[in-house]
Amino acid sequence: MSRYLITGATTAIGEAVIRALLAQEGTASILAVGVEAVRPTSVEIDGRVRYVRLDLTRERNLRHLMFGPVREHATEVVIDMASHRGVGASGPRARALNVLATRSLLALSEEHPTIRRFVYRGFGEVYAIDSSLPSRIDEAQPLDLSPGAPQWVRDRVEADLTVCTRFGMSPLSIAVVRAAECLAPRAGSQLHDYLSSDVCYRPLGYDPVINLVSIEDLGRALALAAGASAQGIFNIPGATTLPLSEIIRRSGRRQIPVPGPLMTPLYALRRAARGTDFDYAINRGRLHHGAVLDGARARTILGYAPEMPVPFPID
Amino acid sequence: MGTPLRARLTRALLTEPLRARADALAAARPEGYDSFGGHARGTELGLALTRPLYEAWFRVESRGVEHVPAEGPAIIACNHSGTLPFDAFMLHTDLARRTDPPRTPRTVMDRFVPRLPFFGTLVARAGGIAGTRRNCEHVLEEGQLLVVFPEGTAGIGKPFRDRYRLTDWRVGHVELALRYRAPVVPTALVGAEEQMPTLTKLERFHPFGAPYLPIPATPFPLPVRYHIRYGAPMALHEAYDGDPRDPEVLADAAARVKERVQALLDEGLRERRGIFR
Repeated sequence: MSRYLITGATTAIGEAVIRALLAQEGTASILAVGVEAVRPTSVEIDGRVRYVRLDLTRERNLRHLMFGPVREHATEVVIDMASHRGVGASGPRARALNVLATRSLLALSEEHPTIRRFVYRGFGEVYAIDSSLPSRIDEAQPLDLSPGAPQWVRDRVEADLTVCTRFGMSPLSIAVVRAAECLAPRAGSQLHDYLSSDVCYRPLGYDPVINLVSIEDLGRALALAAGASAQGIFNIPGATTLPLSEIIRRSGRRQIPVPGPLMTPLYALRRAARGTDFDYAINRGRLHHGAVLDGARARTILGYAPEMPVPFPID
Repeated sequence: MGTPLRARLTRALLTEPLRARADALAAARPEGYDSFGGHARGTELGLALTRPLYEAWFRVESRGVEHVPAEGPAIIACNHSGTLPFDAFMLHTDLARRTDPPRTPRTVMDRFVPRLPFFGTLVARAGGIAGTRRNCEHVLEEGQLLVVFPEGTAGIGKPFRDRYRLTDWRVGHVELALRYRAPVVPTALVGAEEQMPTLTKLERFHPFGAPYLPIPATPFPLPVRYHIRYGAPMALHEAYDGDPRDPEVLADAAARVKERVQALLDEGLRERRGIFR
């Protein structure tokens, strides 16, 4: 019987992971960590799930969690999914959650008496995208380490590499799950924020294909990674591959193609005027060049294959 | 793909046999968009847009398409010329129109092509792929038909005086052929060399990442006639049983392919009655 700790549990993706774990045989208990003060009924859907409210950016809190409830539960598997929910969040506070909390959680897990596996929910956005790179992204694709990358990307790359550097050195078995874009609300999805406006600008003359993973498939993939023992990086593609124009259309939004150089000022203006968070600089590559995650490794080792297309229009 | 209006316009540009052909190509491939941005209706749009060029302008005549394997991974290796890549469009179109059973070719384009607005998207929809090694591997792993131009941009920009003399011949295609046990179909395209001689190349200009900016001698391609010759497939994997990464093996295998393409070129040149006929 397996016992799990899930951070970021109160997001739509976190809830999907809990549902997927509960559907698996052998799940004894789940400690679901979130920041919400109110006990979310969507998380405590089963007697095996216990909600813990915690601010992960405070290391003392993490220590109390790991050597308190986690040890009492004899938790064996950590699924780290906590990242700042704000699409445009930046600064030390965002980094503390996106990077430092992951680093601390991993370090504490390594010295923990019961934990044997660590699964990090990574992002496909960490990969560099360019026409000189493969269109189907496998786990060996270069990461976006460009010095001009915005903090949103830098944080995710840093957290991802922080976990990856422990492969083979950690007493834990470690999996990094780099998932395609998941159009979930309050989960840091740039594309979700992009599609939330009535009018979507897109670069004139470019209509790249984008792969999207449904919340259900991502939840299942993370549950499969948690239940497996294999180490390494696993790309998780979704069942929906569409051009940007079609994604906008299916989302019920109007689209206006504009010359590429105008995209940055337009979205900067929109951010200033409307308070939205979509950052064109973060998405420039994938709004010009199509690239899709290659899920061959996840299929072979984890037994994951995308099943559920993304339902349109999104919430 | 696209709006119903665009789909109707595309269909209107095709003759009835070509519509049937487009449907057959669509039936032979998975639904939806692939990871390279290709789509069955994109292939149809490509057939519609290239039809005037294929039928009226370049009046493409091809022989030996029966040499293209009916299934499984295969590599079409062709010469490349003409300042602008009309030869690649016509070869791609010829394969899409004439292979039996219908196969959608996956034509390798230089890495800067996807950066071109409109054009990059159009080519990707029709089946083009960016020329990275991994993309080519994926195509062959899926048992598709890969179209390569081993001369690369050096071939398309070679001086007029060097026409129909193959330039540096890269070895990547034979390495892939050996690794994936894919037959190589040597292919020659006669006609493109005279379509648009290069006046000069502006080497300091790199629009959208292109290696240079070509200045052609004519503002548009001349209506030369294209002759395509597909040779008998070469089972290199049966001829070479060593390490497919061995540089000597690769050089030797690539030289054999080059020799066959040159022979087909010479044959096509002997047979044609003039550059416009």
